[in-house]
Amino acid sequence: MSEKTVTQPGGIDYRRRQRLARLAQTLVILGGAIVLAIYVLAPVTWLVSSSFQTEAEIVSVPPHWIPEEPTLMNFEAIFSATEEEEITYETRSGQDPASGGFIPSTAKNLLPAMWNSFLVATLVVILNLLVGVPAAYALAKIRFWGRDASVYFILITRVIPDIALVVPFFLVIKNLGMLDSIGSLVLTYLAVTVPFSVFILVQYFEGLPDELDKAARVDGCSRFQALVRVFLPLSLPSLVAVVLFTFLTSWNEFLLALMFTQTEASQTLPIVLAAFTSDFTISFSFINAAGVLAIVPPVIVAVIFERYIVSGLTAGAVKG
Amino acid sequence: MARIRFEHVEKKYANGFHAVKDLNLDIQDKEFLVLLGPSGCGKSTTLNMIAGLEEVSGGRLMFDDELVNYTPPHKRDVAMVFQSYALYPHKTVYDNIAFGLQMRKAPRDEIDRRVRDAAQKLEIAHLLDRRPSQLSGGQRQRVALGRAMVRDPAVFLMDEPLSNLDAALRISMRAEIKELHQAMQTTFVYVTHDQAEALTLADRIVVMRDGVVQQVGTPDDIYERPRNTFVASFLGNPPINYIDGTVEVTDSSTARFVRGDLALTLPPAIAGKLADSNGREVRLGIRAEDVDETAQGGEGSVIRGKVNSVLPVGSDQFLGFDFYGEELFFRVGKDLSHALGDDVALSVDLNRLHVFDKDSGDTLIW
Amino acid sequence: MTDVVNAPAGRGRLRTLFGYEERSAALFLAPVMAVLMGVAVFPILYSLYLSFFRIKLTRPNRTPFVWFDNYTDLFSNELFWVSVARTVAFSVVSVTAIAVIALLVSLLLNQNFRGRRVLSTILLVPWAIPYVANALMWKWIYDSGYGALNGVLYQLDFIDKYMIWLGDQDKTIFLIANAFVWKEVPLATILLLVSLKAIPSDLYQAARVDGASVWQRFIHVTLPAMKPGFMLVMIYETMMAIRHFDLFFILTEGGPGDASHVLSWHIYVETFRNLSFGSGAAMSYVLALVTFALSYTFIRTLGRRI
Repeated sequence: MSEKTVTQPGGIDYRRRQRLARLAQTLVILGGAIVLAIYVLAPVTWLVSSSFQTEAEIVSVPPHWIPEEPTLMNFEAIFSATEEEEITYETRSGQDPASGGFIPSTAKNLLPAMWNSFLVATLVVILNLLVGVPAAYALAKIRFWGRDASVYFILITRVIPDIALVVPFFLVIKNLGMLDSIGSLVLTYLAVTVPFSVFILVQYFEGLPDELDKAARVDGCSRFQALVRVFLPLSLPSLVAVVLFTFLTSWNEFLLALMFTQTEASQTLPIVLAAFTSDFTISFSFINAAGVLAIVPPVIVAVIFERYIVSGLTAGAVKG
Repeated sequence: MARIRFEHVEKKYANGFHAVKDLNLDIQDKEFLVLLGPSGCGKSTTLNMIAGLEEVSGGRLMFDDELVNYTPPHKRDVAMVFQSYALYPHKTVYDNIAFGLQMRKAPRDEIDRRVRDAAQKLEIAHLLDRRPSQLSGGQRQRVALGRAMVRDPAVFLMDEPLSNLDAALRISMRAEIKELHQAMQTTFVYVTHDQAEALTLADRIVVMRDGVVQQVGTPDDIYERPRNTFVASFLGNPPINYIDGTVEVTDSSTARFVRGDLALTLPPAIAGKLADSNGREVRLGIRAEDVDETAQGGEGSVIRGKVNSVLPVGSDQFLGFDFYGEELFFRVGKDLSHALGDDVALSVDLNRLHVFDKDSGDTLIW
Repeated sequence: MTDVVNAPAGRGRLRTLFGYEERSAALFLAPVMAVLMGVAVFPILYSLYLSFFRIKLTRPNRTPFVWFDNYTDLFSNELFWVSVARTVAFSVVSVTAIAVIALLVSLLLNQNFRGRRVLSTILLVPWAIPYVANALMWKWIYDSGYGALNGVLYQLDFIDKYMIWLGDQDKTIFLIANAFVWKEVPLATILLLVSLKAIPSDLYQAARVDGASVWQRFIHVTLPAMKPGFMLVMIYETMMAIRHFDLFFILTEGGPGDASHVLSWHIYVETFRNLSFGSGAAMSYVLALVTFALSYTFIRTLGRRI
């Protein structure tokens, strides 16, 4: 069917204009999407690519963007590093026969540090829920004197920069002898993450109808039972959001861990990782492999729970 | 099985809002009491205080001679139906109804029996496995009723349960609620702003305004013998007509109401009460239906004016009537036709007049 | 939610404090309050207390009370003011970049196109990774011997030999800011997206009918509606930038010289390298106050929406 140019008021061909506009729009979006993807993924891809390179490859100028001889050696080193092997100059270079790059004696700390991170994060998440959920319920549904003040107070604690907490805290913990324990980390992280958790939960709870709470209480629930039996089952998205944010924040936290941990007994992943970067004898590819390992869990968690990030912040229409 | 007593009960919020002022009320066992009033008058707050959902700021609230001011809601034997039904979205209809009994640790088979029984009575037995989101408004309402019924409570509370229903459903549900009350033989306390609903359902009505009780009485009491202008104008559709004027007293059984050309002879029963009020400024109330176009009353019972509007309403007409610049509405038979601007004379039923003090609004005759 | 506190008021205040509502609320809030009091409030007060003493961990037994000396020393210390300047520079650069980039990205993601979901998932990556891993990654990219930045620029003939990026005093702040921005953009984008999505499409229809062009619609409908979101992002990211530490620790340790010697780094050095806890406490306290003053607005904006 032949296209007829339709002449419209003013002699302007609106149909053609529209098509051009749409084309332009598509191009802009496409361009934007590509730029964004590159901006986000390029650095990470480079990191991943580097981690699969041998030491010899990695020091090439200009760099090999794609490893020509990809190797799993770096990752192996992480997973197989054990206490028993005595680290000497020979064994170190022996572990990377291809080039003589070094795998640090602290390599063996990486996996235990990951475990510490995981342990701490999990504990913090659980405590966040235990402590934050009742608080959010009270703030959302109980009208009591001091309610607004409580909200402000909780939010305000986040205003204080971590570094300001560190000085006094360090002294206290040191005097309590709790310097190298997971416990002090867990407690501190709890205080640092709870305000945001409460914020998320309160927003969500407020979206749930008041009368639901009233009905439950008339039906025979104490306030606590109303919370557990009626509100919690309805709050799944926000609970997931809390778990997500809290886990990631704990996993990624550095400064406080730096202060409060001394040995591998309690050191978390970021600390060990940071230690690598300041050790100039370490092979680059190894560090990158460690970095990749540090990145993988949180990214997986974030991707899986992506949909809850926004929906957990606003209550869906829950009508009863 | 409960007598509820409010003794000088107050409800004040921290922001200063005084929701309920010096409430004294004695709710009889098994009666159907309706709390009636405009929004913000304190009726829902009062209901919530009975439930325990709002705390009593002052005074005493008694259930059967037991002070319940400090008893939390889950320890009181009350059931409540909410305006929005408040069904638990994540539970089935069965679980919704059973929840109250489950919380009170009733035995499983007992719960089952009662739930199915109630569902049967409410004709929702076929819906027991559904979720609230799958039900219509009327069905949800029945589930809400079932949830309250099944607990066999001492007090049954209802907070404007019918306002979300369409008109036809509302009327049929009113009848069902009345039947429910008969069947359950329990105290019902019902909140509404709809005066027709109150008049239909109540054994007694409590009219409230701005936290203060205006009048307590049977529907008949409230309608026929309103205590003040607010109560008189709140009940009745269309609202009562008011004419301001003066009372002229001749002797202890003769008096008349005068306004401009209008002079209505007040019957002895009324005149007797006004013996000391010679020259007093009053507000006269005439209900729309208390006039007759065809009756032959004497001069002292006729009111004259110009027709402003004519609204046919099925079997009658509403006559909008200009009287010294104010518009009065009267209900007349539809046989006689009127044109706008016509002069019309209506015969007033003098025995059904209401006389109020012009400033305070209080009744002078009841 | 009303701003006003609605609560039962009985005979006198005391009654209110112990009413049924207050008691249950107290129970529910007790754990949170205990944690926050202990871990947030207490350190600040203790910090204040410590700041009045001269404490050097190298001589733990001599901690003389010195009144406000720590504070006066602080303000007369040139390095302190340098660190303030650096912090301001870093924050301004970062927050501006974040605002601009996040705006563009959020506009992009607000369009409906195939693969949008994939794109937003990809966007999560920078947000999810630990700051330290981020630092490590950029350190490697900026590496003077073998890094990607050198590699790309060299291959594209923008430079003819590899440069020591992080050793360049003029460039350091920008490089660190770049790493910071990269990581912060996702969250900022989400915050802006939320306010973007709240704009009812009717407004755009009305504007189109009124004859507004795409650009005009952007200026008159989109931007004004995004103002609260922008405020939120600006304030939040400023707070984050001021207190940021991790990148400075890993990438430059405050250097070269004092090119990236920001306030948080200054406090760290003073406290944990010079082991002077008294002045460290004083500095922390000052920083806390400043941040508090700054974020008073933040809390009020947010609090009103709660």
